[in-house]
Amino acid sequence: MPNKRVRERLTWVALALAAAASAIAQEPRQWLERMNQALTSRNYDGVFAHWQDGRVEMLRIIHRNLNGRITERLASLDGSGREFIRNGAELSCYLPDKRTVLVSHSESSASLLTSIPAIDGKTAGFYDITDVMRTRVNRRNTRVIAVTPRDEFRYGYRLWIDESTSMPLKTQLCDAHGRVIEQVVFANLELANRIPDAAFRPDVATDGFQWVRNDATPAVSAGLPNLSALWSALRLPPGFRMTVRSAQLLPGAHDPVAHLVFTDGLASVSVFVESGFATPADQQTVAGVASVGSASAFTTVIDGHKVTAVGEVPPNTVRFIATSVTKSEPAVAIGSPGH
Amino acid sequence: MNEELDSQLSAMFDDELPEGECELLARRLSRDPLLQARWACYAAIGAAVRGEMRSSSRLAKQVSVLIAGETDLAPADMRTASTRARFALSRTWQAIAGAAVAASVATLSILWLHGAGGAGSVPAPTLAAVIPTSTPAAVEAPASYVVPRAAEARMIVPATELAKYVVAHSEYSTPVNRSNLLSALMASEPAATGVPAELPAYGNDPNPHAEQAR
Repeated sequence: MPNKRVRERLTWVALALAAAASAIAQEPRQWLERMNQALTSRNYDGVFAHWQDGRVEMLRIIHRNLNGRITERLASLDGSGREFIRNGAELSCYLPDKRTVLVSHSESSASLLTSIPAIDGKTAGFYDITDVMRTRVNRRNTRVIAVTPRDEFRYGYRLWIDESTSMPLKTQLCDAHGRVIEQVVFANLELANRIPDAAFRPDVATDGFQWVRNDATPAVSAGLPNLSALWSALRLPPGFRMTVRSAQLLPGAHDPVAHLVFTDGLASVSVFVESGFATPADQQTVAGVASVGSASAFTTVIDGHKVTAVGEVPPNTVRFIATSVTKSEPAVAIGSPGH
Repeated sequence: MNEELDSQLSAMFDDELPEGECELLARRLSRDPLLQARWACYAAIGAAVRGEMRSSSRLAKQVSVLIAGETDLAPADMRTASTRARFALSRTWQAIAGAAVAASVATLSILWLHGAGGAGSVPAPTLAAVIPTSTPAAVEAPASYVVPRAAEARMIVPATELAKYVVAHSEYSTPVNRSNLLSALMASEPAATGVPAELPAYGNDPNPHAEQAR
């Protein structure tokens, strides 16, 4: 009888330990989720340094969530003077160096609050997510969460997350070898209860600027769904899956493009397919790699269409995905469970 | 060194090599001491032609003789120089070549990084600026010499089209990535020349998954 009681107690202890271990294991992931939620749903006004390629630029971000409507302003405080202003579904990009304003309307932007990618078990299979330590950044207590990729198809992250607000005070994007390729550090960050509309007006004087919009005519809009249905990817890097298949007009474009989105839960890649590139000469003209910050882009021509993959992933990943795009069957991820 | 490679190197120095080939050659240059020595030759010739080696015109002349004789200037080769005059020259030249190689490799690395990384704007030092001279660098250049363009002209400036893609893509990124993507667009410097930048030509870097992918 006493042995039975001991066995029962040991069982309860084991269960409790297992539950505690599970909670500890999930905690880093929960920090990421809380951070994503905070970045999207809180009101904040901050100045941060954006470092890349040995160059530092100061930027200011003002973000407001007013009854579910997101308004955001991101402005360069240094050289370029560029500004991005989001007002609900409309995103305006002020490019004074090009004397251009790009205005795009996106259905997804209206739901930024609900479009936060889920960091699920599948995602965790392709990254090691660990709680590295507690430390102080700018006089605030932070948790350092490391997200380390398990292959070279994606980048890693180190995030210093404010323990009290869940806001990331410092972030680093790292390559597969842990080398920092991009860093953001907040110099100051204020969480405000209320941010006035005036804070979202651009400083840029737009006299004489070219305004490039993506206003769709009804006829064009009616044909959009059919376009995207034609395209998919034959193969994908491990862990990536298609989450969005849509068609849209990019600012200034007359014809719609198919827009496919692939994600592993943290990193994502968009593929844009445009018609009208039929000849080998077109291939020579448009094919190539490019990058903006940590985003890589690769363009190629497939079946007379220009295919461009863009994403915050290494160049090989966008190249892999772009060259896999086809009009044929839906994609399967190579090396993914079950394949 | 074969003639084609030499020609490519020469074109690269004159900034006439296509972007894709330039990237590949830069990688090879970072590994190949003979190629580095040849690059140093071009740097020294450029400096000499521009008058930056005026104070050591005898040296420049000797350098020219060496170059004309197709002598490789790799350190190992320099150590085996048989004549005393040549050895004396090599010691001086080694210092110049070393500085030039270091400078040119550093410059190329920066240029290559700009090519791969896209939007950086760190002004690359010109080769001439770091070659040790006793005269001021600001001297008139003969019209016949093609001065390599400044780094800005090689930079990949995000085209408006690319910006559109990035902005459209950012809508589907995680909040941190979205902010980083837009910040990177902010930080991109405007085109120095005002010429719309296209996606650079893609080199011969093989796609290990191309066969699978197709």
